[in-house]
Parts: sequence; C-alpha cells; structure tokens
Amino acid sequence: MRECVLEGQINGYEQNAGSCQNQKIHRHRHRIGHHHDNGGSSIDFYAVNSGIRHVDPVLKVVFSLLLLLFCLAADQPVISVIAIVTAASITVLAGKLPVDRYLSVLTIPLAFILMGSIAVAIDFSGNPVGDWNLFLHWGYLYVTKESLVHMVSLVLKAFGAVSAMFIMTLSTPSFELFSVLRKMHCPALLVELMHMIYRFIFILTTVQRNMRISAESRLGFCDFRTSCYSFGQIASNLFIVSLKKANAYYDAMEARCYDGEFLFLEEETKVPGELILGAVVYFAALTLIWWMLR
Amino acid sequence: MREPILQVDNLYYAYDEKKTALNGINLSIYPGERIAIVGSNGAGKSTFFLNINGVLSPEEGEIRLNGTPITRKTLPKLRRHIGIVFQDADNQIVASSVKAEISFGPMNLKLPKSEVISRVEQAMEYMNITEFGDRPPHYLSGGEKKRVAIADIIAMQSEVIIFDEPCAALDPVNAAMLEDVLIRLSEEGKTLLISTHDVDFAYRWAERVLVFCEGEVIADGTPLEIFRNRVILDRANLKRPTMLDVYESLVDAGILPDEGIYPRDADALKQYLQKRNS
Repeated sequence: MRECVLEGQINGYEQNAGSCQNQKIHRHRHRIGHHHDNGGSSIDFYAVNSGIRHVDPVLKVVFSLLLLLFCLAADQPVISVIAIVTAASITVLAGKLPVDRYLSVLTIPLAFILMGSIAVAIDFSGNPVGDWNLFLHWGYLYVTKESLVHMVSLVLKAFGAVSAMFIMTLSTPSFELFSVLRKMHCPALLVELMHMIYRFIFILTTVQRNMRISAESRLGFCDFRTSCYSFGQIASNLFIVSLKKANAYYDAMEARCYDGEFLFLEEETKVPGELILGAVVYFAALTLIWWMLR
Repeated sequence: MREPILQVDNLYYAYDEKKTALNGINLSIYPGERIAIVGSNGAGKSTFFLNINGVLSPEEGEIRLNGTPITRKTLPKLRRHIGIVFQDADNQIVASSVKAEISFGPMNLKLPKSEVISRVEQAMEYMNITEFGDRPPHYLSGGEKKRVAIADIIAMQSEVIIFDEPCAALDPVNAAMLEDVLIRLSEEGKTLLISTHDVDFAYRWAERVLVFCEGEVIADGTPLEIFRNRVILDRANLKRPTMLDVYESLVDAGILPDEGIYPRDADALKQYLQKRNS
C-alpha cells in the first residue's frame, strides 16, 4: 500500500517533470488573429524584421502604390487576383513573413471588406424578385447572380488594393516612410512631427503598460467600478508623464546642440537596376493582361 | 600650472523661489580628469550637469570654457565641448533608428555628410553596436539602449563627457562593459564627469571625487581623502567603499603593515598580497 502511494508520487512527480519539459519545448501554433505582442506594434515589428527591409523604401512605396492604382483602375477580377498573389508572395517569400502571421494581419481588413460587400450583394424589395429571395414579413431580401458577381469582384478589388498596400506596410518601418515623405518635399514640420509621434507612441505605450500591470497586480481591475477608476487614474497619470517626458526630451535634445531643426542622417541607398527592371517588366505584363481582357 | 578646461564660479540655480537647487558652486575642471560626483538623491548633481551644459541657465554665477565666459552667444560652443549621457536612455533617444539617433548630434554640429557618416560608424564600432544600426530603439534591451546613448555622445567628439548615473539599471555584464568604455575614453584624453551612488566604483575608478550635499560641493579631493573622512561621509550620507574597509581592518588586525598602500579593487589587493609573499 505504502509502496503504491510512493510509486504514485514518483509517477506524479515524473509526470510533472515531463510536463515541465514539454512546456519548455512546447511551441503552440498561432491561430489566425492570435497574437502575443500587443496589437498595432506587431505590424511595426514585422516591417522592421522584413527580409526586404533593405530595399530602397522609395521603390517599395512606388511599387505598392502603382499596384494599388492598377487594381482600382483595371477593375478586373483577374488583375485583382494577380495583385493578391503578387503581394502575398512578395511579403511571404521575399519578406520571409510566416504565412500564418500574414494571414492574421489580413484578417482585420478582410472582415471589414466582407461585411461591407455583403450589403452590396443583398437588396430589398416588396416583390419576390431576384435569383434567390427570402421573405421577411414586410418584404423580400433578394440576391441576383449579377449582384453576387459584382460583390465578388468588389471583394477581390478591395482585397487586392489592401494587399498591395501591405507590401509596403509589412516591409517598410514608419520612419523610413517619413524619409520618403521628406524626399517628396512634404513640409519638414509634418515629417518632424511624425518622427516624434512615432517615437513617443512606443515610449507612452511602454509607460502605460507598466502602469497597467502595476495596477493589475494591486487588484486595480478586480471589478467594473475599480477598473473604471484605475483606467482614469492611468489616463491622467499618462498625461502628466508625457509632459514630463517631453521636457526631459527637450533637455536631452538641447544638450546635443538642437537648434530648431530636427536633423538625421539619411543614407542614400542605391536601387539595383535589376529590381527596377523587374518592376517595369511586371507592370508591363500587367498592362498587357489588362489590355487583352478589355 | 594647467589651465582648467571648465571653470565654474559662484553658481546659483533655483527651480522655484522657495528653494535653491545649487548654492554657490565653485569648481575648476582640468583636461583629462576622471571625476566622480557622489551625493544623495536631490543633492543637485543632475541640476549641476544641466547647468554646465547650458540647458538650464544659472540665476547667478559664471561658467568659463577654456577661459572664455559663457554667454547666450557662446552657448553653442559650450554644448559642442560638453556632452551628457543622460540617466534614462529612453529620455535621450529621439530618432527611430540607431544610426539616425547617433547622427543627430553630428548633424546638429552642421558637419559635412561624409564626416557625419564616418563619425556615426566610428561611434557604433566603439560601442560595439554596428550590427543593430538599422533597428529602431524600442526593440533594444536596456543595456543596448545605454550603449546607443553613449555612442550618441562619442559621435559628437566632445572633450568633456558627463555621465549621469550610468550604472543605474545595468546588469553586471553591461556595467563591466561600461567601465571598460570609461577607462578607454579616459586613456584617449577625454575629461570625464560621472555621477554615481556606487562608492566602490568611485573609489576604484576616479582620481578626484566631488561630494554634493544640498546644492553645495562639500568636499573635493582624491578618493582616499574623501572616503577616509568620516565627517564628510556622515554629512553626505555616504557609505565607505568595501575595499577601504577591508584594507583598514586587515591593517588594524595586524595582518598587513600600515604602509599606506590602499588597493583600489580586489585585483590590486591580490597583487599586493602576492608581492608581499614572494
């Protein structure tokens, strides 16, 4: 009997040890829409670590914008599908972003696109018309084949456009976009503000996260009333902290001879000829397809 | 007689009317000195740093750089020659990538672009951060951020470098790295001012110690003079360095003769003991 218990204990212990080990090597699959990092900054993280991060940002921005324009101007499902496939392969294959991460980034716009498009497909009428209809006491909800096709092409067009923009978003960190804007002669004041806001977003989210964690560890979010109170406290504190940080920042900038102009070194990167050639060929092919479809 | 690089006469500063943060500071700092500034929180160390860098302007008193008094006109000159590494790197890093961050100072000095590039690269190499030149600062660890903050100032090539509590919040490996950098910078002839609460560090590294207390410099001398003076230590609420205590207890116990050789760290003590035994 005693041995039995002992054995059980040992087994239990081993089981525990086993599970411990399992935990160590445990890699769980990320379901779509599931993140460990916090929300918006994950896109920034993917962009910073992208495999095509070092390609000249101007090229990436121009390519994405052109693809977006093609998608919208052509208004052809085939072009849209090509854009979606191109964007996915650039981001996943060249950018080395894991497919599940890419899909999870895409779920957000996809949800909006689908919800918006369903309304396009469905119409309302007093009479039983359309290819399919549903009687709802006061009238009929109906769908025609044309409206369905219209919806699908609309979804594809919007999704292609969004995908095109994601080539840029997922490979170019914001601060490189700012330098592109500067090159396009965007007012310096705006670009400087963007730089500072970008930097401050990360500083303030860190501060906010720390305050939230410390509030949580002191039962600050145990019920609704307390949560509201803690939230208010954190929000007002964040305001004061941001003012203080701004002061400290200004001191540090002055100490480094800041005199009103926010200057950084921007290195000129050379765009390899073959990349430009590739882009030109790609768009030529796209134009050809478009022309043939018309 | 050497010429002081920085001379501070009768400096007063107040954040508000009730209380002055600095109460008449008189100091001369000579080129190439290794100065540790100790004193409790709120003793005025950081305020003093911001004053001698021209970020805060004193109510009264004069600051002279290489003999020329600092006025509003010559203020940029002061900042060019004196760099501060702030305590919290997050309050110092302004740019969104490491390279851009380090270039901020040299760009403000209006240097030609090629010079900026070479300075940025040198500074990154100096602090061993070349590999994350393109990374944004918010994905760096605390120690890495600190290295970026130091590279910021190295790229400006200021003659005097001020470190405001550099060891705070660093792990032992990074603290050792920092000490190496400090030794190297001092060997290159930079004048270093470091505020610290680590008396052991001040004792082994500095050649001159300033004690701040309630906005005044209450003592100025070699580490030995300062840390053997109980009156000063009590007044500024300072601890004695461990090595000093260890050495003095060894002498008191008669284990070591009273030769007045004060080893500054454990290695120096070991060497001293080996030499005695051989």
